[in-house]
Amino acid sequence: MKKFLLMFLLVGMIGLLVACGNGDEEATDSGDTNDTDQTESTDEGSGEAVNITAWAWDPNFNIRALNYAKDLYDGEIDLDLEVIENAQDDIVQRLNTGLSSGTTQGMPNIVLIEDYRAQSFLQAYPDAFYPITDYVVFEDFAPYKIEATSYAGDVYGLPFDTGVTGLYVRVDLLEEAGYTFDDIVDITWSEYTEIGKAVKEATGKDMLTLDPNDNGLMRIMIQSAGSWYFEEDGQTPYLAENEALAASFEALKALFDANIVRLNSDWSQFVGAFNNGDVATVPTGNWITPSVMAEESQSGDWRVAPIPRLEVEGATHASNLGGSSFYVLNQDGKEAAATFLSNTFGGNLEFYDTLITEMGAIGTYLPGLESEAYDMEVEFFGNQQIYNEFVQWTEEIPAVEYGIHTYAVDDIMIVEFQNYLNGQDLSTVLERAQTQAETQLQ
Amino acid sequence: MSHMIETVKDWFYRNGLFLKVFGVTLTSVLLVTILISVSTLRISTTYFMDTFSLTNERIMNESKRRFDDYTTAVVSTLQSVENSGTIKRVLDRERTTSIVDAQSAYDIVTEVRRKYARIQPIGANLIVIGPHEHLYNMNYSYWPVTYEALYNWSFNDQLKQQPNQIQYTMVENEGLPLIVAGTALSNQFTSGTYGFSYVAIREEQMRGFFEGYTSEENTIVLVNRDGVVLSSNQEQWIGEALGGLKEMINQDPLSEQLIDQVTVFGTDYQVLMEYVTGLDMYLVNLVDQETIVGNLINARELLLIITGIVLMATVLSWLISRHITLSLTRLVRQIAKLNKHHFKKRLEEEGGYESTQIARAFNYTLDELDQYVRVVVESQKKQRDAELRALQHQINPHFLYNTLTTVKFMVRHEQTEEAVETIHALINLLQNTLGEVGETVSVEQELENMKHYVQINQARYGDQIRVNFFVAPDVYAYHMPKLVLQPFIENAFFHAFNEKKTGYIQIMIQKQADTLYCEVMDDGDGMTLSKEAFPYVVKHKRQMFSGIGMKNVQERINMLYGNQYGVTVKSAPGEGTRVIVTLPLIKS
Repeated sequence: MKKFLLMFLLVGMIGLLVACGNGDEEATDSGDTNDTDQTESTDEGSGEAVNITAWAWDPNFNIRALNYAKDLYDGEIDLDLEVIENAQDDIVQRLNTGLSSGTTQGMPNIVLIEDYRAQSFLQAYPDAFYPITDYVVFEDFAPYKIEATSYAGDVYGLPFDTGVTGLYVRVDLLEEAGYTFDDIVDITWSEYTEIGKAVKEATGKDMLTLDPNDNGLMRIMIQSAGSWYFEEDGQTPYLAENEALAASFEALKALFDANIVRLNSDWSQFVGAFNNGDVATVPTGNWITPSVMAEESQSGDWRVAPIPRLEVEGATHASNLGGSSFYVLNQDGKEAAATFLSNTFGGNLEFYDTLITEMGAIGTYLPGLESEAYDMEVEFFGNQQIYNEFVQWTEEIPAVEYGIHTYAVDDIMIVEFQNYLNGQDLSTVLERAQTQAETQLQ
Repeated sequence: MSHMIETVKDWFYRNGLFLKVFGVTLTSVLLVTILISVSTLRISTTYFMDTFSLTNERIMNESKRRFDDYTTAVVSTLQSVENSGTIKRVLDRERTTSIVDAQSAYDIVTEVRRKYARIQPIGANLIVIGPHEHLYNMNYSYWPVTYEALYNWSFNDQLKQQPNQIQYTMVENEGLPLIVAGTALSNQFTSGTYGFSYVAIREEQMRGFFEGYTSEENTIVLVNRDGVVLSSNQEQWIGEALGGLKEMINQDPLSEQLIDQVTVFGTDYQVLMEYVTGLDMYLVNLVDQETIVGNLINARELLLIITGIVLMATVLSWLISRHITLSLTRLVRQIAKLNKHHFKKRLEEEGGYESTQIARAFNYTLDELDQYVRVVVESQKKQRDAELRALQHQINPHFLYNTLTTVKFMVRHEQTEEAVETIHALINLLQNTLGEVGETVSVEQELENMKHYVQINQARYGDQIRVNFFVAPDVYAYHMPKLVLQPFIENAFFHAFNEKKTGYIQIMIQKQADTLYCEVMDDGDGMTLSKEAFPYVVKHKRQMFSGIGMKNVQERINMLYGNQYGVTVKSAPGEGTRVIVTLPLIKS
C-alpha cells in the first residue's frame, strides 16, 4: 500500500513537471490553429468572410471612398475589406516588381491605377488582371473611362473618379479688368490669352500658374480636341502631324509670350498661387475644388467655366486630367473583389450620393450623376451648380486611347516645349519629338 | 508547556536517526540544486553576454557603415548642389517674364533632379530654396513644406553662420520626425548666402539602417551632442534628451568607443557607443542586460523545475528515510519491550528489506533461545525425576533393619499373629512404593500404604501415638502421587512428640471444590515457623523410610501440577502442626 502510494506520488510529480514544460507548446499550438483558420477563410466558398485587400493612395479621397464603399457593401459574398494606403509611386513600383516576377504574392485584390498608366499594366501583364466585363453594365459609365480601362475587348477597370476639367475663375479680378464671367465661358485659348493680358494690366496678377515640368495643361488641351500622343493603336507616336498638339503648343506659348504665367515648382506653390490670390484662373481637373475652397476668404469670388477650346477641328470644351480606376488582380479572392466593386462603385446610387455630398467627389457612373445631390448650389462659387456642370462636361469628354507610354512621351514633350519656348521652330520641335519617341518606344 | 517541550524533545530524541538521514538528504538536494543552478546560470549568462557583445559590436559597425554611406551621399549631394552654376544662377535671379521664368524653372529642376538621383534610392528628399520664392522640392508629399515656412526656418540662421558646414536637425512633419541635413549655399567671392539646400530623411527610413538588428532590449539610438535622440527603434524616445548619454559624451567625446553603464528611464543599460563623423552624432547601442538575460532564462520554468525536483526529493527522501528509520525505530521499541524470559513473543517482520531481515534474525535467535531454554528445563526435570526415582527406590536400610528386628522380637515372643501382620504390611508397602515414582495411585491404594506404614511404626514403637484416617469415600477413586503424605506422617511420628509422649495424628482427605484436600495434623509439640510458605528446616534429619524427603514434596507437586498446588504448614509451639497438601482432582 505504501509503495503504491509512493509510486503514485512519483508519477504524479513527474506528470506535473512534464505538464509545466508543455504549457508553452500548447499555447503556440493554439496560435497556429488560429493562423490556419485565417488562411482558410481567404479561400473561396468556405462560407467564412473572404478577406480582400485594396491599395490606394489618397487618404482624403480614394481611401475615404473605399471606406464608404466598404460600409455600404451588401453583396452576396461575405467579405472583409482591408484598405491599405501606399504612395502612388510605391504602388506602381510594387505592382511592376510583383507582376513582372509573375507572382501575386503580397499583391492586393483591388488596386487603384491612374488612367494614364492603366494600359501599360494591362498590356504588359494581361493575365495578371481579372476582366470584370460580366460584373458591370459599362454603358452606364462615361465612355472615355471605359476606353482607358479596356484591353483586348474586355473591361478590366471599374471607373472611379473623373478628371473632368474646368476653368476656375476669380470673377472679382475679371471684373476689375472689365470682363464678366460670361465673357470667359465657351471661349478659345486665344481669347483666354487676351483676357489674361487685360487682367495682368488691370490687377498685376498672372492669369494662371504652371509648373514647366508638368505637362498637364498640354494633355488637357489635346484631349479636349479628341487627340492624344498616339495613334489609335495606342502605340504609334502621333506627334509631328498632330494638329491638336501643334495648336496646344501654340496656345501655351502664347500664354508665356503674354507673360501671364506664374511659375510654380510643386504642389504647395501651385495651391499657394490661387489661395494667395496671385492668379486669376486655374484650368485643371475638378479634384482641385476642395483646395480652392480651402481659402474661405475668397468665398463667392470663384466660378467654374468650361475650359477654353483649341482652334482645331473637333475641339470641345471638355477634357480630362488625371482620374483613376479600380482593377482586380487575377488571384484568389478575385470574384469577391469584383463583386465588391460592382456592388458599390459599379452601380450603387446611394454610394455615389455619399461621394458627392460627403466629399464633393464626382464619379463616372452616369445614372449616379442624375442624383439631386448634384444640383447643389455651392455658395463658395456664387451659388453656381458646379457639380451639375461638371457632370454635363463629363459626358462630353472625348474618348482617347492613352496607350502605354503616356508619361514617356510626356517627358519628351516637356523638353521639346522648352525648346519651342526658346524660339525653335514648331515643326522642327515636333518632328524631333516624333523621332525621339519612335526611337525610345521601339 | 514544559510538558510539551518534553514531548517535543522526546520526539526529537526518538526520531534522531530519521531526522539526521532526512536532514542530510534534504540539505544535499538543496545545495546541489541551488549551486548547480547558480553556476549554470552564471556561466551561460556570461557566455551569452560575451557572444552578444561581440555580435553587437559587429552590428554597430555595420550600422555605422550605413550611416557613413548615408552621410557621404548627403555630403556629395549638397556639395554638388552648391557647386552647380545653374542652381546658383537661377536662385540669384528675381522673377522676370514668364518665358524666362519657365526656362529657369525648367533648368534648375532638371539640375536638382540630377542631384536628387543620388539620394533618391536611399529614400531621402532633396529641397533647394532661394530668396526669390524659389522652392524646389523633389518629393512634395515626402515633406509638404511651404516656401514661407522653410525660408523663415530658424535653422537657416544656424546654417548661415557656418556656410561651408553641413548641419543636422530634426523637424516634425505630420507627426513623423524628419532628420534634415542642411547647408547654406554661399558665394565664395561675395561670401553672401544665395540659398539653402536640404536633404531630409524620414526618421523611420533612417531607422532602417539599424532597426533590423534591434529589439526591445537591444536598442540603438542616434543622439546628438546634447543627448537628444534623433532616431531610435524605441519610437517613444525620439526627441527626448537622455541625460546619461549626454554626460557620457561630454566626459570623453574624443574617444572612438566607450563602454559603460547608463540609466535611461529607470532601466540600466550597457552602452556601446560609436561616433558617426559625418553626422557629428553618436550611435549608441543600449543593451538591457537584465531583460535579455531574463528572456534568455525562463525564470518561471526554472523555478518550477527546481521547486518540483526539490519538492519531489524532499517528499521522497522524507518517505524513504522515514520508511527505513521508522521500521528500525519500531524494531528497537519492540526489542525494548520484550520481557525477560518472554521468548515466545515475536517481533513483527515488516518495513524494508533490512529491517525485515533483522527482525527475522532476531526472531530466529529468540526461537533458538526459547528452544534451548526448553531443552534445558526439560533435561533438568528429567534429572530431578531420576533423582526422585533413585531416592524412592532407596528404601532406607535402617527402616528395613528396624522393622525386621521388630518382627524378630515378635516371633521370639511368639507373637506370631502380630509378626505376620507386620511382615504383611511391610511387603505391601514395599510392593507399592517400589513402582514408578511418577505414577499415581488411587487414594484408596495410598490409604492402604499409609495404613501399612502406620501399622509398622506402631508395631515398633507401640501405640502411644494414635493415628486416625478420615477419608471421604467420594475421593477413593481419585489418583494422587505416591508417598505424598508419607513424609509428613513420618515427621509427625518422629519429631512432633519429643516432649509429649502421647497424642494423635489425624489424616484427612477430602474434595474441596476442584482440589483434593489432604491434611496431616498432629497435636504434638508444634514449632516456630520462620517462613510462611514451606518451612521445613528439618533437612539434617534423615529420612526414615525412603529418600523422598518432605522438601521434595513441594517441588514434586509444583513440577507435576503447577504452582497453584502445593504444601502449606501451620504451626505454633505447643499447638501441634498442620500440614495441608492440595492436589488436583485426577481420575485414574
